[in-house]
Amino acid sequence: MEVKDIFSYNWSYLLPEFTILGFATILSLLDLAMGKRSNRAIIGWLSLLGVIIAGVFVTLNMVNLNEPVSYMADMMRVDDFGNAFKLIFLAGVACTLVLSLAYMKYGEISNQSEYYYLLLTALLGSMVMASSADLITLFVGLELLSLSSFVLVGLRKKSLLANEASFKYVVSGSIATAFTLFGMSYMYGLSGTTNLYLMTERLAEAYNGGYAFLVLLSFAFVLVGISFKISAVPNHLWAPDVYQGAATPVTAFLAVVSKAAGFALVLRLLVTAYIGLISPEGQSVLLENLSLILTTVAALSMIIGNTMALRQTNVKRMMAYSGVAQAGYILVPFATLTNLFFEQTVFYLIAYLLASFGAFAVLMVVFRDQETEELKSFAGLYHRSPIIAIAMTLFVLSFAGIPVSAGFFGKFYLFMSALLQKHYWLAAIMMGTSVISYFYYFGFIRQMYMRSGSTEAALKVPAGVAVIITIMALATLLIGIVPGALFDFVQANFNPNFDFGSMMTPGK
Amino acid sequence: MITVQLPSFLLVALILFCVGLYGALTKRNAVVVLLSIELMLNAVNINLVAFSKYGLHAAITGQIFTLFTMTVAAAEVAVGLAILIALYRNRETVNVDEMDTMK
Repeated sequence: MEVKDIFSYNWSYLLPEFTILGFATILSLLDLAMGKRSNRAIIGWLSLLGVIIAGVFVTLNMVNLNEPVSYMADMMRVDDFGNAFKLIFLAGVACTLVLSLAYMKYGEISNQSEYYYLLLTALLGSMVMASSADLITLFVGLELLSLSSFVLVGLRKKSLLANEASFKYVVSGSIATAFTLFGMSYMYGLSGTTNLYLMTERLAEAYNGGYAFLVLLSFAFVLVGISFKISAVPNHLWAPDVYQGAATPVTAFLAVVSKAAGFALVLRLLVTAYIGLISPEGQSVLLENLSLILTTVAALSMIIGNTMALRQTNVKRMMAYSGVAQAGYILVPFATLTNLFFEQTVFYLIAYLLASFGAFAVLMVVFRDQETEELKSFAGLYHRSPIIAIAMTLFVLSFAGIPVSAGFFGKFYLFMSALLQKHYWLAAIMMGTSVISYFYYFGFIRQMYMRSGSTEAALKVPAGVAVIITIMALATLLIGIVPGALFDFVQANFNPNFDFGSMMTPGK
Repeated sequence: MITVQLPSFLLVALILFCVGLYGALTKRNAVVVLLSIELMLNAVNINLVAFSKYGLHAAITGQIFTLFTMTVAAAEVAVGLAILIALYRNRETVNVDEMDTMK
């Protein structure tokens, strides 16, 4: 292999990552230089600026690049797949920052500037995960995200809940890391390389060379490890405690950005590395055997997530279990692997991002106002602030997958893909669990419209939060009315250069 | 000269991983839990180094990977201990089974 020296690459395509890295570094230095008593909100605004600049660079890359750009033998890789996920991450972190700026006024977090630049490093980690095709960089990105989020969860140092949540998060996170790494070590051992594209070929050789068991073992280990990040079933127990203990903007970040990053990893690591496996009978192993494992994980996540959510009275815990169920839904396209699976995943993630940030913005304001996180804090919201109540209704409908919301079409596409690939029982479980989920999602609606609250005074909503709620509600509604526009946009702009065409099984 | 074969390395690593997992899931003391996690991560290192010499396609990459995993494991345990100290200040305990405020 020809060795290129590092100066011969055109590094300008990595400007989004460099921007975030630069801002995180400069802001941490700025924090040292600032006086002890000065207002740290400026650091939050600067972080927001950095995120927006990075977003502009990603968009420029999208427009200017037709071919994927690879750095250092795919250690880093700028392609449509990565750009799509990077935009999701950046949008998610921008929303988190706006919510955080309002949250900081409550004065619960004393180390404000740490909070902001840890968010940026977490963002950097997820961006690295989305844009690398090498085990080492994937792992480093994953850990950068994990370590930053461990600390973010625990930043309310005085709160016992936050301490406990972050410790549980560290322990279960580290165990998951160990599982991922153990799987990765077998992947490496069977292929002798950390490059995912080379690994695809070599794993296929190893699979037919008598090491089929080890190949499947590595898949199982990595899947168990990653299920932590996406909070899917074997590794979902941390979610309720961590969601409850973390500050609400951090919970929103974990629910959306961290989960989306997990799905980027599933796509990069599992799908890319294992798609080349062909069994001796000429069947694709990924479509035949491994998709069965993924379907089981998806089905169990939906069932356990939705049924456990029924029992919760704490809203954040309910959102955590609902998030487990949502992870199950987003796993469906990976299990069915139709030609449109990438578009389906991105569409669902966008719908989920809109509904989640909208809902968490409302939760944050309502919790603060009522000083409780129980479901009854929503009582009589419609009579206090009708617009907020209607927006919240829209988000809840989107989660539940009821028409005239983005979530309906997200679920609809997944459902169709399950039917198309004849996964009838998976489709049936999707339907069944969606109906179960109506019970707890409608709990919000019952409280907001039909119960009387302790007060009739209008809810005070900070300007930034109001903006987030409005944008998310309008976007959810708009995508619910014209879903085709977004779907076509995703299809036209992010056609992932994954070379699935040649790797999909003959006849499918 | 007796050479140790690859399966022996893999077996040691697997045993170490299982011991670590058992410890992480059953021990009461939080520091011991963190130690057990280190065992799991070190099992990975044994695997990687063994594979880099005796793997199907022996290559040096595994040893490089080990350097990364060691560094990250150190960072992880540092964060874990820092959080444990914050928890100890509020709760005065390092017993995992007493961390049950949230239900």
